[in-house]
Amino acid sequence: MSTPVGNEDPAVIDVTGLTKEFGRTVALQGASLTVARGEIVVLLGLSGSGKSTLLRHLDGLETPTSGSVRVLGQEVPRLSGRRLRALRSRMGFVFQQFDLVPSLTVLENVLTGALSELRGPRIGLWSYPRRLKLAALGHLDRVGLLDRAYQRADTLSGGQQQRVAIARALMQNPEILLADEPVASLDPESSEQVMSLIREIAMDEGLTVVCSLHQVDLALSWGDRIVGLRHGEVVLDTPAEGLSKAEVMEIYGRVATSTTELEAIEVELADAATDAASEPRLADGALRS
Amino acid sequence: MSLATATPPAPSAPPPSSPSTIAERAPRRRVSPERIAAILTLGAIVVASVIALADSGISIPSMIESWGNAERFFARVGTITFPEPGELLYLTALTIGLVLCGTLLAAVISVPVAYLAASNTTPGRGWQAFGRFVTVLTRAIPDVVLAMVFVLMFSLGSLPGILAIGIHSVGMISKLFADAIEQIDEGPRLAIRAAGGSKLQEFTSGILPQVLPSWVATVLHRNDINLRGSVVLGYVGVVGLGMEMSFAFKSLNYSEGLGIALVMFALCVVMEIVSSVVRQAMLGGTPSGRGLGDRVVRGVQNARARGRATAVPAAPRPASGGDLEAALRRPWDAVRIRNTIWGWVALAVVIGSVLVCNIQWGDLVTFWAKIPAIAVQFWPPSFGNYDAATMFGAMAQTIGIALAATLLAFVVSVFVGSLAARNVAPNGTVRTSMRLLLVVIRGIPEVILAIVLIVITGLGSQAGTLALAFGGIGLLGKLIADSFEEVKSGPERALRATGANRGQVYASATLPQGTRALIGHSFYLLDTNIRAATILGIVGGGGIGYYLLNAGQGSNYAVVTAIVLMILVTVLIVEGIAMWMRRVFR
Ligand SMILES: Nc1ncnc2c1ncn2[C@@H]1O[C@H](COP(=O)(O)OP(=O)(O)OP(=O)(O)O)[C@@H](O)[C@H]1O
Ligand SMILES: [Mg+2]
Repeated sequence: MSTPVGNEDPAVIDVTGLTKEFGRTVALQGASLTVARGEIVVLLGLSGSGKSTLLRHLDGLETPTSGSVRVLGQEVPRLSGRRLRALRSRMGFVFQQFDLVPSLTVLENVLTGALSELRGPRIGLWSYPRRLKLAALGHLDRVGLLDRAYQRADTLSGGQQQRVAIARALMQNPEILLADEPVASLDPESSEQVMSLIREIAMDEGLTVVCSLHQVDLALSWGDRIVGLRHGEVVLDTPAEGLSKAEVMEIYGRVATSTTELEAIEVELADAATDAASEPRLADGALRS
Repeated sequence: MSLATATPPAPSAPPPSSPSTIAERAPRRRVSPERIAAILTLGAIVVASVIALADSGISIPSMIESWGNAERFFARVGTITFPEPGELLYLTALTIGLVLCGTLLAAVISVPVAYLAASNTTPGRGWQAFGRFVTVLTRAIPDVVLAMVFVLMFSLGSLPGILAIGIHSVGMISKLFADAIEQIDEGPRLAIRAAGGSKLQEFTSGILPQVLPSWVATVLHRNDINLRGSVVLGYVGVVGLGMEMSFAFKSLNYSEGLGIALVMFALCVVMEIVSSVVRQAMLGGTPSGRGLGDRVVRGVQNARARGRATAVPAAPRPASGGDLEAALRRPWDAVRIRNTIWGWVALAVVIGSVLVCNIQWGDLVTFWAKIPAIAVQFWPPSFGNYDAATMFGAMAQTIGIALAATLLAFVVSVFVGSLAARNVAPNGTVRTSMRLLLVVIRGIPEVILAIVLIVITGLGSQAGTLALAFGGIGLLGKLIADSFEEVKSGPERALRATGANRGQVYASATLPQGTRALIGHSFYLLDTNIRAATILGIVGGGGIGYYLLNAGQGSNYAVVTAIVLMILVTVLIVEGIAMWMRRVFR
């Protein structure tokens, strides 16, 4: 395993032996992960392998059953209230379903990213300071949606909504960007667009990114490092460079246990073999059926 | 998932069926004891309703007799008269202002109550129980009772009415509001939490924008109900048209009483139309068709759409090209202009309402001092000069009126409501005319109808029962028609494919799927009718309300408490049974 932990640059994320049980379901089983500043890490794994659960632990949205979760030098499960909110405000989170407030304008949705630096509730554009409004407009410009600022969020397409969600995350001036399947609800073209936007911004701002994905292709082209999860365990942790899709799938195959899973992987392998630029959703669909 | 998991081949397959008849092998039909109990309870309620209806003396001869009464009455009254225009205008404004203030008060209070009561926002179980308790309690105490108490505490004026309406309405608004909060998409809220937002910010930025439309709709709906109910408040001393009407009838000035009733009718219809227009303007889209108002709005919209070619919505495009300062100025597009105008109109209406009510703010400060003195008069409860049998008899009569009215409404509604459902009606004409009938019935405020019927026919509880039943048809018929239209069409199609006729499809596919909704809606009507029947007594319809009014006017406050407790218990029991039925017949 090559986990580049620079001595002079301490890991921004350090998860060790993280276990999470939901009743009888074990979502994470002794998972460990170290991420250095500025790295772009992609979490790969079949449905139910624990990707979302891991990301949610990093943001303190879930309490671990056991294990340690250190982010930006702080033990996340120990935090609560104001200190937890302060840590959260240093991490942007982008969700699969965008999770914009549909009835608010695009601009106000972006502004909600700045709530943690404001005191008290805010209703309406007028209740945000001019400085933040300018910043929000700047971020909208960055994701190419300045001309949509005053439209209702639910009048945008899926890809546009996800870009608004990214702008909302940028509003926090984050050091870390967490993304949970940010392109799973998008068509291939918008997926490319959103992923390159995330990568571009990460490079520009020196962001650390942890992003979960379903599609191996995307993972290989956009990640610095691939981390594979299976049944809540980390089974793969390797730099993305020079890795081929077939290799990734092979590693999956070696650790697959049940026949149904093997079948699912075979479908994906066959798919990869026949067409290098295969449509990701197809493989995805096969996995889910 | 369970399909994908391979089950190991079962080595011990079930033994080959022994030679026995199918009847022996078939599993017994099991009905849970709870279901049996529920069915028995339901049966008992139906029997009680039939008995109540038989007892109520409603019959064709009595109706003919009351028709005769009405003719004689009108011969005596002569023409209908109105108060002089200036006074009429003032009274109308006062009534509307008072109702609006009350509803607004409730709307504001209901936000924190709903926040506590909704399972996904409540800070803890104790708080949730408290929120639910407030919801149930405020709904169970009739606004008339509250008004009677508040009239005692305040110098006469509009404050008792505002507070009575305000407190009583909290129940319904916060209940529906809490339901809406529980149904939100949790995503946006989680996103705000992930960004480091506080609990309050999660609520105001993630939840409130999602539930605002339903909250506005609920508040407007409640405002319609409160306007209808304001007439009865007049009978216990709340200023406005209702009080003027009660004075007129009491002084046997029937022509003016009927005139005010007519104004009240018109006001209710106008208010429904206005609130539908407002709902439409604030929320956008086409109203889904609750009542008369929605129909009018839809009609206008359709007419307008027909009148012009489909307009292309122009996407607002503020200056782009990196000029953020310019982008800061929000363009005045049609939506923004509309919202601003409506905002100012709403503000003006609220200020106008407060002004016209001429609220004695000082009372809010002084009345706390009076509470101890008044409270001791209300406690302990007692029946005073009345014996217990009389009181329980009166309560039974009120329940009887509610049961009989519900049964009457149910029988007619199943018929009318079924024919008003698209999938049951034999043709479009029948459906349309039945829907129209229901709309017209719903447009008429039933309590005002009851007052007028009681005055005209002079037949207390009978007239009241008929008025309640009439109003019930409008409500229940519509609910039945809607739920029948919502049943899955698959089973109906399947039955039709087997060659079943219209009636068979209705009986075997539509009705069984709609039964649960039918029971639920009927109990909802019973629930409403119990409260309404109490109020009927106050306006001369017999039952416990009569004693309540007497006790209040005779300052027998201990008796008022006793009666209120009886009403409270009855309402809570009915509500409990209704909840149980809805759960069992799921
Ligand atoms: N709140 C919860 N309650 C109970 N079980 C949960 C909960 N959240 C997750 N799980 C379970 O934990 C396991 C891991 O779920 P998780 O959502 O992390 O998977 P995932 O890798 O994100 O899957 P997907 O690709 O489908 O999003 C699953 O078995 C899931 O059912
Ligand atoms: Mg997931």
